[in-house]
Amino acid sequence: MYIMGIGLVFAGGFGIEQLERVLESPWQRPAADSKGIFSYQVDLAAIRDKGVLKGLRRSDKFSKMSVLAAADAVSCSGLGGLDGKRTGLILATAFGPHVTTFGFLDDILDYGDANVSPSKFSNSVHNAAASYIAESLNIQGPTLTITNFMTSFHSALQLARLWLDSGSCDYVLAGVADQYGEVLRYVYDNKLMPAPDGMIRPFNLNPAYQVPGEGAVFFLLCKEPGGKILCKVGTISIGDDGADGGKTSDVSIIDTDGMLPDESPYRASFSDSPLAAYSPLFGSMMIGSAFNCAVGALMLKRQEYYANPVWENPHGLKLLDKTGASGIESIRCIRYDCNREKAVIYLNKG
Amino acid sequence: MKESVLITGVGVISAAGGNLAESLDSLADGRRNAGQVTLFQTPLDRPVFEVAQIPDKFLMEGRRTAGLAMCAVDEALRNARLEGVLSALRVGVCMGTTVASQLNDIDFYSTFRREGSAPLTAVERYLDGNLASFIAKRIGANGPKMTVVNACSSGTDAIGVALSWLRGGLCDIAIAGGADELNRVPYCGFNSLGIVSHEMCAPFDRDRRGLNLGEGAGVLILETMNSARRRGITSGLQLTGYGSAADAYHLTAPRPDGAGLKKAIARALDESGIEPSIASGKISFINAHGTATHDNDKVEGRVILELFGKGIKMVSTKGCTGHTLGAAGGIEAVFAAAGLRAGWVPGTTGFKTFDEEIGISPVSGKTAISGAYALSTSLAFGGNNSVIVLRTTD
Repeated sequence: MYIMGIGLVFAGGFGIEQLERVLESPWQRPAADSKGIFSYQVDLAAIRDKGVLKGLRRSDKFSKMSVLAAADAVSCSGLGGLDGKRTGLILATAFGPHVTTFGFLDDILDYGDANVSPSKFSNSVHNAAASYIAESLNIQGPTLTITNFMTSFHSALQLARLWLDSGSCDYVLAGVADQYGEVLRYVYDNKLMPAPDGMIRPFNLNPAYQVPGEGAVFFLLCKEPGGKILCKVGTISIGDDGADGGKTSDVSIIDTDGMLPDESPYRASFSDSPLAAYSPLFGSMMIGSAFNCAVGALMLKRQEYYANPVWENPHGLKLLDKTGASGIESIRCIRYDCNREKAVIYLNKG
Repeated sequence: MKESVLITGVGVISAAGGNLAESLDSLADGRRNAGQVTLFQTPLDRPVFEVAQIPDKFLMEGRRTAGLAMCAVDEALRNARLEGVLSALRVGVCMGTTVASQLNDIDFYSTFRREGSAPLTAVERYLDGNLASFIAKRIGANGPKMTVVNACSSGTDAIGVALSWLRGGLCDIAIAGGADELNRVPYCGFNSLGIVSHEMCAPFDRDRRGLNLGEGAGVLILETMNSARRRGITSGLQLTGYGSAADAYHLTAPRPDGAGLKKAIARALDESGIEPSIASGKISFINAHGTATHDNDKVEGRVILELFGKGIKMVSTKGCTGHTLGAAGGIEAVFAAAGLRAGWVPGTTGFKTFDEEIGISPVSGKTAISGAYALSTSLAFGGNNSVIVLRTTD
């Protein structure tokens, strides 16, 4: 399975070129609100090309981010569009459009059961974003929204491969989206360790510091490379250590972002290859693996390492320490969930 | 034609009954165990189909959907002779839901809104309650897990995903279906959309006035031929195909020409090795989505008429279960499997008057069927259409 295009929306901006600029720049502390609370939030107003959002005026931020990223992935692929192409769509999310859901609960609490907004309800349904993507990009294949918390993205990628291998689809647009919100912030801060200075320290491991993030990233996938590709997706394993055993890679990207209170389990998967973690560019998210995979794919395409954005290294780990050209064959992206189950995605040079 | 998998067990719970035998009795008699909401306080008075009783061993505080799901899973595992042996097998769990995927606890949110903080009990239940993961943990399944949140087609899509896992070699056995509880949030939401009936629902009827919400769970045990052979299990029921297609049209309205549903049916038939031109002769019945909303029944009925002709036996079982949202595809897959095995389908409870705009009537009384194949269709909010094809080899 190959990645033909990547589209993303994150606190640092929009699109793969912007991601590259952010990767090549010194790390910047995320914005803080008036109470000094840090978060990585997407500024949709700053996105100049609003063409794709034309038909989405009544949709919420979750759906808008999803549509922008999905459309950007198609644009990045150079495919020109998906009209008439046998394309499937898989949107993976940990929490779905929860901000809209709470808005709908506001309606119930403020106005009573009989006076709620149908539009808020429609947009609060988990698969609303996928519906908007299908409508915007004219995707008429299987369209699925799934949620598996921390392994949502891995499950989506695994299913995309099955759809492509079985011939059900010629292309699959698979991606993730999650949104920041006050309730989620409260939950995070009470269950996990907030970073007091806004800095996620991916190599601290314990305690692990989080700064909530939001965004969406999509990958346009195909079975055989017919044109431009970014990289190949190799083994995807979820909860199966055997599938990851004995494999080597040039870099290991770890999803340490403070979403586990103690990220020490990651130590078990460290190998001789240097470690990288890009969560300080995106924020802490259960779907963060997809953002790290986007960086991995970009490295393989450009054949260029991107140094870690945050350097603190209290355990003396071997870290990816420089940005620059290099021959890269393989990247291993690793995520542990709260049950200490490991999920791994290998990305290989295309 | 793609590889078929066996259906080696089924389990179901809804207002129609706490297991398959009770459910079939209700369906055969056209019994409607509906009434006013008792599960939560609401000033709305639309009739609903609540499950009368969840067995004590599956009652869990704040986890009604999981309780319903476990009830159906338990019956299906017993049916498939899989109790207590799962840890030694490669077993996946794929479940569809809507309510269990949302952090929508009104008490928690109301306290948080008022006080800026709230006890996290409801949140912890939610974080620990991803439906597929929860079930897998409870029964010791160690294969792939996925919770599908595709609105009203979630259950059918979960079965389709499980089929692709089995064909792709990710597991040998898959527990697949859907579960949803009756909950105040979608009850208010569906009412706000103006598609909930004040009366008992009447699928495909000329005078239909909307859906009634329900709750429940339906689960299939899907198994590769090799796995069943190794376990010494036989089954005369198979899942032969799955098709899914998006309307790419509108968030809440189905595409008027039914193009997405037609594509989904075509894909499911193709996977089953059934030529569309001879499909009407091979399909013994269709368990239709048939929600009793004006738009769904019009589009779905017309597509079925166009593709299969007036003689096709079409039934909606929602007159006895209500619309169970994410559970519907699972429950109706169980009913379709049971119908194929038993050689009859129930009538469409609530249907009385032919609708010329649709052009086809559903089966209106308990009816004998013959033929090897059945379809179960699901049309979802968001414009997704999903279809499975089941087969009996008996």
